[in-house]
Amino acid sequence: MHEFSLVRSLLEQVERIVTEQGGRSAVDVRVEIGPLSGVEPLLVKEAFGQLSGETTLIIDEVPLTARCHSCAREFELKDFRFACPHCSSRETSIVRGDTFRLMSVTVDISDDVAAARTSDELLESVSTS
Amino acid sequence: MTHRTITIARDVQFVAKQTAAEVREQFARRGTLVVNLLSSPGSGKTSLLQATARHWQGRHSMAVLVGDIATDRDAQRLTPLVPAVQLTTGGACHLDLALVQRGWDALAADNVEFLFVENVGNLVCPASHDLGEHLRVIVLSVPEGDDKPAKYPKAFRTSQALVINKTDLLPYVPFSVEHATSDARQIQPELEVFSVSALHGTGIESWCSFLEQQRRRLLAAQQASQIQQ
Repeated sequence: MHEFSLVRSLLEQVERIVTEQGGRSAVDVRVEIGPLSGVEPLLVKEAFGQLSGETTLIIDEVPLTARCHSCAREFELKDFRFACPHCSSRETSIVRGDTFRLMSVTVDISDDVAAARTSDELLESVSTS
Repeated sequence: MTHRTITIARDVQFVAKQTAAEVREQFARRGTLVVNLLSSPGSGKTSLLQATARHWQGRHSMAVLVGDIATDRDAQRLTPLVPAVQLTTGGACHLDLALVQRGWDALAADNVEFLFVENVGNLVCPASHDLGEHLRVIVLSVPEGDDKPAKYPKAFRTSQALVINKTDLLPYVPFSVEHATSDARQIQPELEVFSVSALHGTGIESWCSFLEQQRRRLLAAQQASQIQQ
């Protein structure tokens, strides 16, 4: 089981993002896990719970998707059989579902830090609660 | 209270993978082909390396970094034949890049043509850790059963070769080389498959020729990139 070491690395990355943003802490962390990511969502959840404290973990489980080089169609894989179901070509490559990805981090920033930042520094969205 | 959502969309192992790519490049410049051996415990990785070392004796130089949770028994088996350093993980289920680099420094070997990294016996976690290898090879022994590929898709998908070991036991156990091969190729169509008996030395020659050919390819690619620069 290597989920603990990967979650530890994930949390280091989250911490760096919080610092870069001048924030206090991470409110939530969104990750994406595919069937060929090499990690088990339940074990990631457990490791995260033990290591992170207050932060909420959101896991998006995505299917394994590949693209065929011959007919250019994308398809979802069943039973890890990589041949194209449309044209039977074996020349396919994975487009999604083989990684454990950090998708986003919601940072709690104090009001004075937020005010000092210009809007173009915001990478995606700001929500005030 | 203000919340701000920062989009990252990046592999958790992004930095580790980048470092592994740099290590791969450094080894290519040295002319060393790095081979990461993955398998279940007891598939015969160390025996395969002993047979490989005997086959190459006096012709090619090789060294081994051997990972285990505890003991240096595997390194002891190898050191009469080749330079070998034991990496003990102290309970961890896989080798990581930092351990491998420490092992390489401890080897202090020059002109190594082939560096084998014998991973901890486990087909799950090691499949997710890039050690800067040029070639990932699965060793599957006949008594384990021919249904392994379907059970451990990540390990098979990320490997370039499969060594079916202990073929001397084929008359005694229900194992179909054909079935294992076709199952593995459903997951990884480009997988090279070698049937060997490390114990008797059967099939070792074609396994070694494959490695020699892979190294020639690496050297040619390296030369081509130097000319371009």
